[in-house]
Amino acid sequence: MKTKQLSRLRRDTYFSLFLDTPALLLTVFFIIVPIVDSVIKSFQTFKLRNIISKKPGIWNDFANYLYLFKTDEFTSATIHTFIFVVGVVLVQFVLAMLLALILNSNIRGARFMRSIMMTPWVVPTVISALIWMWLFQPQYGLVKYLVSVVTGGNVGDFAILNNPSTALSGVGIAALWKQIPLMTLLLLAGLQNVPSDISEAAMIDGAGKLRRFLSIILPYLSPVIKVSVSMAIIENFKQFPLFWTMTGGGPNNATTTLAVLSYREAFVGMNLGAGAAITTLWMGMMILVIFLYNRAFRIQDMQ
Amino acid sequence: MKRIVATLMFSLVMGGFLFAAGATEAPATDKPVTIKVANYAILEGGYEPFWKGVKTGFETRYPNITIEWVSAPYGEIVNQVVNMAGGGDKVDVLFGEIDWVPGLVDAGLAAPVKDILPVAFVNDFYPDVLKSFEVDGTPYGVPLYVSPYVLYYNKDLFKQAGLDPMKPPKTYDEMLGYAAKLSLLKDANGNKVYAFGQTTASVPVSGASLNAMVFNFGGQVLDAQGKLAVDNQGFKDAFTMLQQLDAKGYNPQNAKLKDLRNLFALGQLAMYYDQSWGFNGVKSINPAAKDFTASAEPLKGGAGNGESLLQAHCFILMDNGTAQKAAVSKFVEYVISEEVLSGYLRDLTPAYPAKKSMAAMESVANNGILKGASPAAGRVRVQTFIPKISALNLELASLAQAVTVGKQDLASSIEKFKATATVKISQ
Repeated sequence: MKTKQLSRLRRDTYFSLFLDTPALLLTVFFIIVPIVDSVIKSFQTFKLRNIISKKPGIWNDFANYLYLFKTDEFTSATIHTFIFVVGVVLVQFVLAMLLALILNSNIRGARFMRSIMMTPWVVPTVISALIWMWLFQPQYGLVKYLVSVVTGGNVGDFAILNNPSTALSGVGIAALWKQIPLMTLLLLAGLQNVPSDISEAAMIDGAGKLRRFLSIILPYLSPVIKVSVSMAIIENFKQFPLFWTMTGGGPNNATTTLAVLSYREAFVGMNLGAGAAITTLWMGMMILVIFLYNRAFRIQDMQ
Repeated sequence: MKRIVATLMFSLVMGGFLFAAGATEAPATDKPVTIKVANYAILEGGYEPFWKGVKTGFETRYPNITIEWVSAPYGEIVNQVVNMAGGGDKVDVLFGEIDWVPGLVDAGLAAPVKDILPVAFVNDFYPDVLKSFEVDGTPYGVPLYVSPYVLYYNKDLFKQAGLDPMKPPKTYDEMLGYAAKLSLLKDANGNKVYAFGQTTASVPVSGASLNAMVFNFGGQVLDAQGKLAVDNQGFKDAFTMLQQLDAKGYNPQNAKLKDLRNLFALGQLAMYYDQSWGFNGVKSINPAAKDFTASAEPLKGGAGNGESLLQAHCFILMDNGTAQKAAVSKFVEYVISEEVLSGYLRDLTPAYPAKKSMAAMESVANNGILKGASPAAGRVRVQTFIPKISALNLELASLAQAVTVGKQDLASSIEKFKATATVKISQ
């Protein structure tokens, strides 16, 4: 009997391994191998000529990494990336939570709002960038017109993407427009799973709205918050199409993030080794940030 | 049983995928030659009919040669060509810009034109023009047509400002005088009219245009050996002028060439620098633009003589073996001919022919739009080719942004530019 059970267990194991094989192969060939390949190239002199001639890169004594620190571009791009990620994720979380609470409160038209609210999320990122570029257009954009009307004509040359001190915010607004719907939807799904009896019991015990939100709703939502904020961090850390389409990294490099810098080095400067070095450091930073985030926001066991 | 069925189904599905992925066409023999021509313009409404006509006309004349377009947007076409070549699928011809040549030579993709085209055909190009395509003394591309950056201006706006539309400015100082009057105008909708447009956006072509502006002032960016050489008055004067234009609100900030074309077409920009073929973009936005557009020579500034930078749309050729090279030669000779380009240069893209035998083309000699700028064709300077020319051009655009929208000091911005650009072009 025991032998038969073992045999069945082994068969189950083989069968599950068999079913996992395609996913494993895809992960290895399309994710692990390219990452390892990129890391290797970051230590080599590897240019377009190497791709065309199929000659391997040559080890260059960390020259690609040293090159990154010969100018302040890498440091500046890192700072821009972190400011963008922190700013967008914080604002996104607050606005998405507010929207989710509103939609969860059974107000009239909530179902309709939920439907149209998802529209930006389904619009491709490049199209979102083009839409916002036109809205922000400095000569005939809608935002310029609205600002002019609201300020009674005192601000007639509002051009958020042309000013180095506001351009990052301009791209951030486009990112928020695109990303808030998904986070709202995730948080709303979490809110709908918060047991109402506990909240009602707390209310009977005299807990106010804020106390119930902080002590009941937030702890119950923490697994959803953790996942949705992680997704937002990763999404914005690797944000490229919005930047490349809306500003190209300008003005005066004010929106040159690690994604833009990496692309510029690899495909404008045609130095794939330097591009790979930026990508490697960028990936390392992202892993570190997510690791620290997960450490800081450990899921509280609701049990 | 269920597991066996599931396993079989699973294997069948996966096998199907593998079969589909691995299926390849059997190698053809005795097939007519197909040449792959990478061409971003085929995706652009203004140019698509011309290139479709080229394909039809060429394939009718040479029934054994088929053209296969490889298309991608302007900003992505080089990456597309490189990625294809990396995968072993090298195109035969790339239609592109002169500035793409050094990068493709460095990548080992561009072939010397003399390896593919007949000597008599190559020798018919103006020697100075062909020299602009040289890397280490060997030309690696052939232009369809050429142009310096020309100054387009709006005759109607000149009239409205009380200026003589037949007398465009010749120097930057004159231009500033004109601009003071033009900038007081509003368009029909009450929008501001910008007096003068010089692109400064974060794209390489803006850098090339800024380089041309440095030439206007008699300055230089690179020396003959391809080393950074910006310690000259002309370079400083050009960026001082940009600062001045920005401070007075004459120049649309951080604009791409296409933004300037848009504003010009809508009557919101009185003068601007563009490649001569940029007029096609203007015309596609506002067909009536041909009635108010005129061209002038690049302005003279400081100690400069108004020299400009040669720009060209060109074919960059790649070596894919004898049969392909012969077909490519026929294709290039077919396109760069009066027969094919005459209507194109007259109706679509005002520019100057690059070949001696095409000098008297009616469509160029009588081109009303280009008439004013014609003397500038003899005042172009050859820019030294370096593989990192696009990266350098981006740095020039960043410098322009630093001293305009960034409101930074010129001297320190130039020092920062020198430090960064030196590192970029040496890597």
